[in-house]
Amino acid sequence: MTQAIKLVFSHSTYLAISFVIFASMLVGLLLLSEYIFLEPYVVSHLPPGTEFGLLLIVILSALSALVIPMNIFRISVLKSSKQKMNGSIFGSMIGSIAGACSCGPIGFALISTFGSIGATTTAFLTNYETPIRVVAIAVLTVTYFTTVKSLKIECKVNS
Amino acid sequence: MNKKILILGVIIVGITVTIFTSFSTSSETVNLDMGRTHGTISTSMGSPILGNPSAPITIVEFGDYQCHQCNNWYHNTKPSISHDYIETGKINLVFMDLAFLGNDSPKAAQASYCAEDQGLYWDYHDLLYNSQEPEIDGGWANSERLKAFAFSLGLDMDLFDSCLDSGKYSKRVQYNIQQAHEHGVKGTPGFFIVGPDGQQQIGGAQPFSIFKQILDPMI
Repeated sequence: MTQAIKLVFSHSTYLAISFVIFASMLVGLLLLSEYIFLEPYVVSHLPPGTEFGLLLIVILSALSALVIPMNIFRISVLKSSKQKMNGSIFGSMIGSIAGACSCGPIGFALISTFGSIGATTTAFLTNYETPIRVVAIAVLTVTYFTTVKSLKIECKVNS
Repeated sequence: MNKKILILGVIIVGITVTIFTSFSTSSETVNLDMGRTHGTISTSMGSPILGNPSAPITIVEFGDYQCHQCNNWYHNTKPSISHDYIETGKINLVFMDLAFLGNDSPKAAQASYCAEDQGLYWDYHDLLYNSQEPEIDGGWANSERLKAFAFSLGLDMDLFDSCLDSGKYSKRVQYNIQQAHEHGVKGTPGFFIVGPDGQQQIGGAQPFSIFKQILDPMI
């Protein structure tokens, strides 16, 4: 398992991709979930009772940063199928949009633009924020293990 | 003849005492200032002023009773602001509705003004945030629950029910939402700190330290 990770992340390109995905997802989700603010001053804020939400965001960002570059590696270097890439993108996407549409600017824009459909979508994504993020993490975890397995077979990596 | 005059006198005195008592025991004033503005924001249709009405600085909060972040701000930041600035008379606060999150949001906002009719706007406002449940439109702020909240505060239920069922304050809430749109508020909670030298916008449920950094130099 660690050798599959070493194989992918020994290339600086994939390490850079991983860093960019992690940083952009983490900062983006922390901003949307109002754990950090940039205006009028840069400040971080962890209200009581929101610790689990923060943990899910960190896990989601880390898993996305791990799984997506591994699948890019499989596709570009090993010319493998794109099936697992879809799983990793799907996991990251649904995990990201959950909760992002609450009372913040995205939810407001969604409701202002799409009316009752936007309101229903926003309510669903807000009400089920935690379960959706947990499902997204589960999807990414499964994708990670299947990707490692594929890499072992395709590259004949010994674990 | 004298008996009739006596009965009439008792009735008049009774009515006078009742009116006087109801006004003197009211814990807050009703917002009847139709020309009220704070900075560029018309707050005439907003909440009564919380705190010293003549304070030089006003926080105008745009919020939704179903918004989780508004609830976060209410429980984590507002108590310190109340303690350090509102209760000391340095600033006051006005709440404006940006009721957009679900079907129950505008109704909850209207209910708060029905409570204002009986002098208990802020008690009702506090009760709504203290009763907020995680699910949007999950039933915690439907008409029945809004009436139950009013009952628990001891409001006159005939007046409250008729106010809420008739949609008496529907346009008032819409006006507040329109003010939010006009001032570029793109989510809740949204704040404007309005002082003698202008106004500053703050977006989101920001911590007390940010409000303190802005308020202290203004005082």
